[in-house]
Amino acid sequence: MSPRASVLIAFAALALALPAAAASERRQQVVLPGPVPYPTPVPPLVGKTALPQLYIAPGLHIGSNQRVNVGVGPAGRPDRIRVRQRLLIRGKGDYQLAISGPIDDVSAAPGTQSSPGLRSDQLLWAGFSPGRKVLAADAFLRVRDAAPYLPLRLHIERDGDRAVLAVANATVVPQQVYTGKVQLPELARLLDETRRASLGGVRLKGTFANFIGEVRTLKQPVRIAAPLRVQGELTLPGQAPVSFDRTLGDGHPLSFQVEARGQGVPKVHLQARPEPVVRELRPPGASTWAAALSRSPQPVEKVVHRLMTTRLQIVRADQFQSFLADPDADGRARSVYEYETVAVKPHREAAASEPQDDSGSDALLVALAVIGSVVVAGGGLVAWAHS
Amino acid sequence: MRRTVVVLAGLALLAAGCGKSGHESGGKVVVAVDIPVTGSPYIAQTIRQGLELATSGINSGGGLIVGDRSYQLDVKVYDNHLSARRAVADTRSALDADAVAIVTDGTGADATWQIAGKENVPVGIVYDGASGLVDPQSRPNVFRIAPTNHGMAFRYAEYLIPKKLKIGLLHDDSAYGQEGSADIEKAFSENPESVATRLTLPAGSSDLSAQILRARRSGATALLVWGQPPTIAAVLTAARSLGWQVPVYAPPTGADPYIRQRLADHPDWVDGLTFAGSRLTAEVGTGPFLSFQSQYESTYGADKVGVKTSDGKAVVQPPEFAMYSYDFAHVLVAALTRAGSLDSKRVLAALNQVTTQGANGDERGFNEHNHEGVVDDDVYFARFHDMTYAPVKDDPLSSTLPSIPQTR
Repeated sequence: MSPRASVLIAFAALALALPAAAASERRQQVVLPGPVPYPTPVPPLVGKTALPQLYIAPGLHIGSNQRVNVGVGPAGRPDRIRVRQRLLIRGKGDYQLAISGPIDDVSAAPGTQSSPGLRSDQLLWAGFSPGRKVLAADAFLRVRDAAPYLPLRLHIERDGDRAVLAVANATVVPQQVYTGKVQLPELARLLDETRRASLGGVRLKGTFANFIGEVRTLKQPVRIAAPLRVQGELTLPGQAPVSFDRTLGDGHPLSFQVEARGQGVPKVHLQARPEPVVRELRPPGASTWAAALSRSPQPVEKVVHRLMTTRLQIVRADQFQSFLADPDADGRARSVYEYETVAVKPHREAAASEPQDDSGSDALLVALAVIGSVVVAGGGLVAWAHS
Repeated sequence: MRRTVVVLAGLALLAAGCGKSGHESGGKVVVAVDIPVTGSPYIAQTIRQGLELATSGINSGGGLIVGDRSYQLDVKVYDNHLSARRAVADTRSALDADAVAIVTDGTGADATWQIAGKENVPVGIVYDGASGLVDPQSRPNVFRIAPTNHGMAFRYAEYLIPKKLKIGLLHDDSAYGQEGSADIEKAFSENPESVATRLTLPAGSSDLSAQILRARRSGATALLVWGQPPTIAAVLTAARSLGWQVPVYAPPTGADPYIRQRLADHPDWVDGLTFAGSRLTAEVGTGPFLSFQSQYESTYGADKVGVKTSDGKAVVQPPEFAMYSYDFAHVLVAALTRAGSLDSKRVLAALNQVTTQGANGDERGFNEHNHEGVVDDDVYFARFHDMTYAPVKDDPLSSTLPSIPQTR
């Protein structure tokens, strides 16, 4: 179970401890998943250095668009990762931003109205926005530290004249899900709200459900994945490309294979982007869940499960919209992941596979981040619950 | 009364104990400052005083803590006479004195950085904004806290081009004027229709009537003059004597007290002069800068311009360039502390990783790709009226800035 999921469950359990003991029909408000915490601490990526003090003038809003270019070797393993991040600042005022990550280098990207700065594991921006400002940079990442957090795993294999590309959704994370009794009209309303947010591409709003009586945790954690739309092609020299367009997750399989026939080195080029949850939030036989459930009621536990798991998927998808952090936590963030076969540089491949002495510090950093997120998330939930 | 004395004595002891912080004394650390004491005394004085204000504050607060030792900062002043050759000699002397850094107005920096670089000693430029002086790749030991010519030129283009003016681009033949001219040319290169004429003015000439008449005949509706203070004063004199009320724009030299002293008999000739500079206040407000100014004036007295406003109040110059040397000292100290050693290589590397809060409340620091402590976005425009200046209202950044009191 992921640490963040543990926090969520622990909080839910804490909130429910007293009522559960009584096992009465008492109503209790239970916080639903979303918009945070994310089920894992990363992404957004984190670097190994402490960030300086940041400043965003009141009234400034920052949106982040990222294109994560992943150069893969002949077997589909990441060999280089570059993120082109384009921040759009709206509003007038000062900004002093630092974006953390396993960053080796940065350079200005086309269209930027300022130049990025670099410190150890930090991309820096500082200046004044006169009303609108574009900050664009290419960040070159350490593959060993960033690759484990990419949303897709590729594997390319040769078998005679067959080249097989296997693509798997790597965002799967086990999550504890709780269940219980909630009135169907309320569930229908919550599902409709969740669906509207998902289809509208906006973050979930924090909300709760009124549970009646005991609230339980499912014995088995549920595997949650961000739905990903994957489009691309597999090409062999002299052959027509084999195109594909799949969604991994949202009720569809979490992996697929594509096959091409011919000689030569196979090349893959694909794009993946987090997608809204559509299929699993589609009301059966009606335009809204309110209508669907009033027309043909479903078992409450099944509907609660749908509400929980779809919200968790949306949260997971939102997490992968920020491979590098958006300095404005409330800003709109979008990421596209582009994988492409590249010529592998032997020394980099070797370096990536060598055990590193400082892996302990990575683990420590992650542990500290988890502890920090537990404290922040727990505090936030408690504060929200008391507001 | 006796009880009060005992309490005060106790507090004093406590304060002293806090200040010393239990570190073993490591002696003195020299910070060299190479400035044109005899070539440009106002600039030299304000740079030296800013640096000394910072170091004395650090010394009285327990000194510079490096590792488990505490050091006193010692400022050693060298006079470069505005001469590159002299600056080279000064740099050698500073290195002989084991200086951990050399703060300079920029005179001779094209030659001195290599000498200092051989020993990995950082050079901090706190006045000259010339492009090319600072380059983290080729000159890794050179840093600057001062507005850059490049930044000011592009900000001027951004500010003036939308006004649909026909601009006369004037510069004097001093190194300062020529370097600024190169940046101005670049900034206006994509909008040639905005430029009415280009003229080179002889630096030091007090009569520029012929050149200004030529500019007027070219159809210029504004003059952007990149030159030393006497050049700007001469341009204003010539234009106003001809009865030409053309708006005049200038680099930071436009705020030099010399111009107002020179034109003290014609204060209306100064009215409307606009200059570019680095903003004196951050978004947090005037508080930090006014606090710095008050500290500066209580130590050294106000920098009096030597002119009065129409209602008879003495005009003082805000300590802008003192702020830059003051800030550089603080960034240097942060780097020394982070390095945990006086080893010059480590200090140089640490300078790329630290940030401090500057005297105006802005963050000051450098990074691996940028050794400029004043970002282009911090360049603002101010306009003179009645011998004092205030930020203009027709520029997005400047319009957000308050005026700094300049009378006493």
